[in-house]
Amino acid sequence: MAIDVTTLSTTRRRFLKGTGAALAASAAGGLCLPALAQAQEITIISNLSNVGQRDILHRLAAEYEAKSGAKVTINNMDHEAHKTAIRSYLVVGAPDICFWFSGNRMKAFVNKGLFDDISDLFARENYKGVLGATTSAVTVGDKQYGLPMGGLLWGLFYRKDVFAEHNWTPPKTWTDFLAFGEAAKSAGMVPMSMGTKELWPAGGWFDHMNLRVNGLDKHIALMDGKVQYTDPMLTPVFDKWNDLIKAGFFSPNHSSFGWEQAGAALAQKKAAMMDLGGFVRSAFPEADIPQLAYAPFPEVAPGVARYEDFSVNSVHVPANAKNKQGARDFLAYFYKPENLGAFLAAEGAIPPRNDCPPSKDPLVNAAVEELKKVVGTSQYYDRDTDPDMAQEGMTGLQEFMVKPERRDQILERLEKTRKRIFG
Amino acid sequence: MPRFWRRNRHWMTPALLLLPGLVLFGLVILAASFETVWISLHDWDGIGAKTWVGLANYVELAEDPQFYVSLKNNIIWLLIFMLAPPIGLGFALIVNQKIRGMRILKSLFFVPLVLATVTVGVVFGWVYDPNYGLLQLIYGLFGGTTPALLSDENFATFAVAAAGLWPQIAFCMVLFLAGLNNLDEDLIGAGRVDGARGWRMLRHVVLPQLSQVGFIAIAVTVIGALRSFDMVAVMTTGGPYGSSTVLAYQMYEESIFSYRFGYGAAIATVLFVIMIAFIAWYLRGLLRAERSNA
Repeated sequence: MAIDVTTLSTTRRRFLKGTGAALAASAAGGLCLPALAQAQEITIISNLSNVGQRDILHRLAAEYEAKSGAKVTINNMDHEAHKTAIRSYLVVGAPDICFWFSGNRMKAFVNKGLFDDISDLFARENYKGVLGATTSAVTVGDKQYGLPMGGLLWGLFYRKDVFAEHNWTPPKTWTDFLAFGEAAKSAGMVPMSMGTKELWPAGGWFDHMNLRVNGLDKHIALMDGKVQYTDPMLTPVFDKWNDLIKAGFFSPNHSSFGWEQAGAALAQKKAAMMDLGGFVRSAFPEADIPQLAYAPFPEVAPGVARYEDFSVNSVHVPANAKNKQGARDFLAYFYKPENLGAFLAAEGAIPPRNDCPPSKDPLVNAAVEELKKVVGTSQYYDRDTDPDMAQEGMTGLQEFMVKPERRDQILERLEKTRKRIFG
Repeated sequence: MPRFWRRNRHWMTPALLLLPGLVLFGLVILAASFETVWISLHDWDGIGAKTWVGLANYVELAEDPQFYVSLKNNIIWLLIFMLAPPIGLGFALIVNQKIRGMRILKSLFFVPLVLATVTVGVVFGWVYDPNYGLLQLIYGLFGGTTPALLSDENFATFAVAAAGLWPQIAFCMVLFLAGLNNLDEDLIGAGRVDGARGWRMLRHVVLPQLSQVGFIAIAVTVIGALRSFDMVAVMTTGGPYGSSTVLAYQMYEESIFSYRFGYGAAIATVLFVIMIAFIAWYLRGLLRAERSNA
């Protein structure tokens, strides 16, 4: 009996010890950094959802390890989850390199002092010379805080075979556009495929209308909160947009599905055109991709110069990184024209460097050619304005697309939000 | 040491065994709740410095039309979810019959409980799809077209709550099945001797014995309806244009997408107060039941 008691108590004690250890581990786990970086270790957090790109990043990391002897650790996160995680890891447990978006979204972190100034890397590798105007996407107050990655040129995509079959050409003017919509409807197709469940496609459509009506400077002023949402300059934008809605241009019930389903409708010839970036290809079966073609958003108000949404992703060195020098060295290797070119080709994005090898992808080449005709670029509604404003704004624009008669209420609500955020 | 242990273990053993749970509860639930209330009195973007704003977030909340939409939707959820206990009880009574093959039927009714709510949301999202969903196929048989439930501001919340109701019914059914297994055979026998059968047996002998289980089912359902979040996130993301948000989702949206942690925390605090009221009512009922049993 005595033996029984001792064994019992030891197991109990062991149990308690075990629970204590587990508890301590779970408590410490939250404080622990993802990896204890040594001088020769470089950690990267990526948000790549494209398998091809992930593979190339891993290949480049392995090559760099072999070349330099440093150890490169890549942690890949889900693209959407990363958007929320970045705010905590930049403060506690920053990696040495992270992926993000240039422009206003980058600026938000720069203003909080969470991204490192890498102007020295720009000077060392002479990036300004090869990047040209794209440098401005990662510049805040004359300093560079990131390296621009692939760019997405937004516009209208369509199927060449469908257009050939109906003898259509991409509409160039507003009158063309309205006539094209009628033609598409009489062919039994939705003129513009759109899925606004994730809200942003409505923001993009607004961008394109506003850029074509008011031009870049006024659009950016609105994005920066310097123009009221009730300003009369927006009246023609919403009037014209309202005409399209009334004419049944957009997919019915568009708020119940996202861009993937809208893209599939384009691929299945149920819709004639779609407003998106080059990634629309992922909604197409491999065999149909050669049919995909790009056309710029049509002219709305005659005489306005051509401005487009061109959004640029980016990579950054967090201010709290432990191995900032190692991060710079790795980025210099990663950003070599041949490496960057291979990385971006997998996504079908436009390389920011002008010395990357020419792409074999006709869509990318077409976008590069188009970009030369563009006078100025904004990024995208939710990248150009304050995130809080973007959320309210895109919700309002979606509501407008469903209930255009509520326009005044919606704009007043947006104006209230603008005033709260920008003062 | 062993003597100290022997003398004190009658209270130390339970205390030590409770400690890990209490520490975690204190840290994750209690401390976090207090911190939420504290944050709700600040203007904070989640990263930078907090600015004290007093009750400004609550004042703004009181004027926010979106807040009332969320509150109204929470009430709709609550009302729809109240169907779960009676329907669950009905199913429990049916599958509790001793009929051949009933076990298979019973396990089929369990299925929604096995699925993660997110999965249920995705599947129902497909069912409701106006282009190729199951609902459209059924309507199509009669030559009709379905309303696009998830993109209509009047239907979206009902459609999402109906999807949420499905696993909730199964959950209530399981609770009532457990209750039915614990029925007092003597009481049923006595009832039978007195000539009770059918409806009267159910009404006067079976149901009174299920009152405690019923109470738990209702309380769990209320809390389930109030904390509804995952279904909304998966099926509509609060849309179209915020017409199907609930408080929990609005809190998430404000904090994560709009970077307004203070405002999000204020919504969380309001939700917390509503929940506390229900939990207090629940605990009171539980204590009263225990006292009457003792």
